[in-house]
Amino acid sequence: MEELGSVAARVGVVWLVLVFALVVLPSALGISLGISEAYMWVLVKTLEWATIRIEKGVKKPQPQMLKSPAANGIIERDETPMEKEIEHLHRVEFEFSDIFYFCRKGFEAIVEDEVTQRFSSEELVSWNLLTRTNVNFHYISLRLTVVWVIGVIVRYCLLLPLRFTLATIGITSMIVGTTMVGQLPNSSVKDYLSEVVHLTCSRILVRALSGTIHYHNKENKPQKGGICVANHTSPIDVIMLTNDGCYAMVGQVHGGLMGVIQSATVKACPHVWFERSEIKDRHLVTKRLREHVADKSKLPILIFPEGTCINNTSVMMFKKGSFEIGGTIYPVAIKYDPQFGDAFWNSSKYNIVSYLLRIMTSWAIVCNVWYLPPMVRKEGEDAVQFANRVKSAIAHQGGLTELPWDGGLKRAKVKDTFKEEQQKNYSKMLVRNGSIGSLSTGTESD
Amino acid sequence: MGSAHSVPAEMRELADRTGFTSEQIEHLHRRFKQLSRDQLTIRKENFDSIPDLEFNPIRAKIVHAFFDKRNLRPESDGLADEINFEDFLTIMSYFRPIEMNMDEEQLDRFRKEKLKFLFHMYDSDHDGKITLQEYRNVVEELLSGNPHLEKESARSIADGAMMEAASICVGQMGPDQVYEGITFEDFLKMWQGIDIETKMHVRFLNMETIAHCY
Repeated sequence: MEELGSVAARVGVVWLVLVFALVVLPSALGISLGISEAYMWVLVKTLEWATIRIEKGVKKPQPQMLKSPAANGIIERDETPMEKEIEHLHRVEFEFSDIFYFCRKGFEAIVEDEVTQRFSSEELVSWNLLTRTNVNFHYISLRLTVVWVIGVIVRYCLLLPLRFTLATIGITSMIVGTTMVGQLPNSSVKDYLSEVVHLTCSRILVRALSGTIHYHNKENKPQKGGICVANHTSPIDVIMLTNDGCYAMVGQVHGGLMGVIQSATVKACPHVWFERSEIKDRHLVTKRLREHVADKSKLPILIFPEGTCINNTSVMMFKKGSFEIGGTIYPVAIKYDPQFGDAFWNSSKYNIVSYLLRIMTSWAIVCNVWYLPPMVRKEGEDAVQFANRVKSAIAHQGGLTELPWDGGLKRAKVKDTFKEEQQKNYSKMLVRNGSIGSLSTGTESD
Repeated sequence: MGSAHSVPAEMRELADRTGFTSEQIEHLHRRFKQLSRDQLTIRKENFDSIPDLEFNPIRAKIVHAFFDKRNLRPESDGLADEINFEDFLTIMSYFRPIEMNMDEEQLDRFRKEKLKFLFHMYDSDHDGKITLQEYRNVVEELLSGNPHLEKESARSIADGAMMEAASICVGQMGPDQVYEGITFEDFLKMWQGIDIETKMHVRFLNMETIAHCY
């Protein structure tokens, strides 16, 4: 037993030394040893091989190999506007047939609706050897199954412990590092050190997720005194962005581990954490953020205006609060590649711990981050229009669709005002066509 | 290592009965699970989670149609509290588009089924007739959002349309004759010659994914 104990201890020590030398040190210095690149190369080759095997396994000859790109949906919606449709069916008066249009629209909505789709994970075109994405794919061959089993072993027994170690190291050093830096008096040295600590820990955490991030247009990186807005897919968006620069976070104070991190980091760097009660007071929030932005020496604020996690196929309504603060907005588009791992956090299905477990047992997290040119509010543009303009820019760059709906619909119901809109339109049409007038001179029956 | 939503034999039986392909059934099954939140049956409340449906003025009637037993099984009546996936598919099949290989008789039956579905939507008290009051209800629902339109106007629209229906079905009425309501046969008569099949269907995309072997 003692021998086992000492062997285990020695393995543990070797393990930690390796991790330190190969991961932590390069993170601190900001250099890359190329291990991630090699891993990704192997991964891509394996997945390509798997896809070819799956294609070969198909017995029926397929005229089209790819799902149609509109297939974020299963029905083809008829987009004829209401007026045209109803005109076709009859003359100008109300008839039984008017009900067809609404009936059909109702059924289309029941079969699929744009909003609920965004809160479930994106479907893949070809399988990536993870059981969780195995929705459409059936048993193919023995060789593929063997590769899949090897994949499971690699992911759970090799990658998971490694990532877990790294994550622990990353979080601990973040807490310890920022507390130490926080003791220093305010000076440029302190700012520099706090930047170093934040960047290093961020890099360690990215490696903990086997993340590969491609940054585009670095010349548009957010400057001090600005506001950075991005689309929100998961809590790890923050890590993706802080890997390349330092930001002042904005958020609610949490309890537990998160709370410890928050209280440690705020000593080193002026993050903006709100108490739960303060969040309700919008004026207070705007005032504090405005003060922060006005101070040009402070780091740019990072805000996610959607307010909730969306599944990275579309961008939902941007809440106007962030756009009322003023200052320069630096939009950032984040798009994850779902082939290697699904980054979307479905908070109604998984809690944060099981979400992190899923992330750590995926192949990798690959994402593209585009820094867009800065935008300011134009003359005569109100906050809502500005928010929509920024939203379009982000959606366009990231290749995401734009939806006008509010992310809050995940939990709440649609307001009644929307329903009345449609009814108003229909009745306006009837009135305009004069049917009411012509009927009122006709017969009255009772 | 495979995905199994339902046993293949059951699937084929469903496919034959409702006319959907197995991929469409699988997709609809996933949609059903989403709406039912992974339960085996759906209740009326589950339809509240569809934002697009909120837009629709006749939303209540559409949801009601799913639970109307007359649509689920021939010769039955009343309202169901909850429906399972088979029932869901049965209702969905009313909105299936026409297939190329249908013969006269099938087309006729198809058309009749769709019209019967529509008839049940109007006939809310299940007595087999669309009375003036029921018709007025539908018009009011469609127009209720407009604050400028008074109830009187809605009523006169309904009355006018009912008069027209009466003239088609019964012809010239004597001064003492009362038109009780539109029966299903009269309803069919009204739609003669008008092409409703293309207006009352939902087009499903042809879903062929890469890896699919049987």
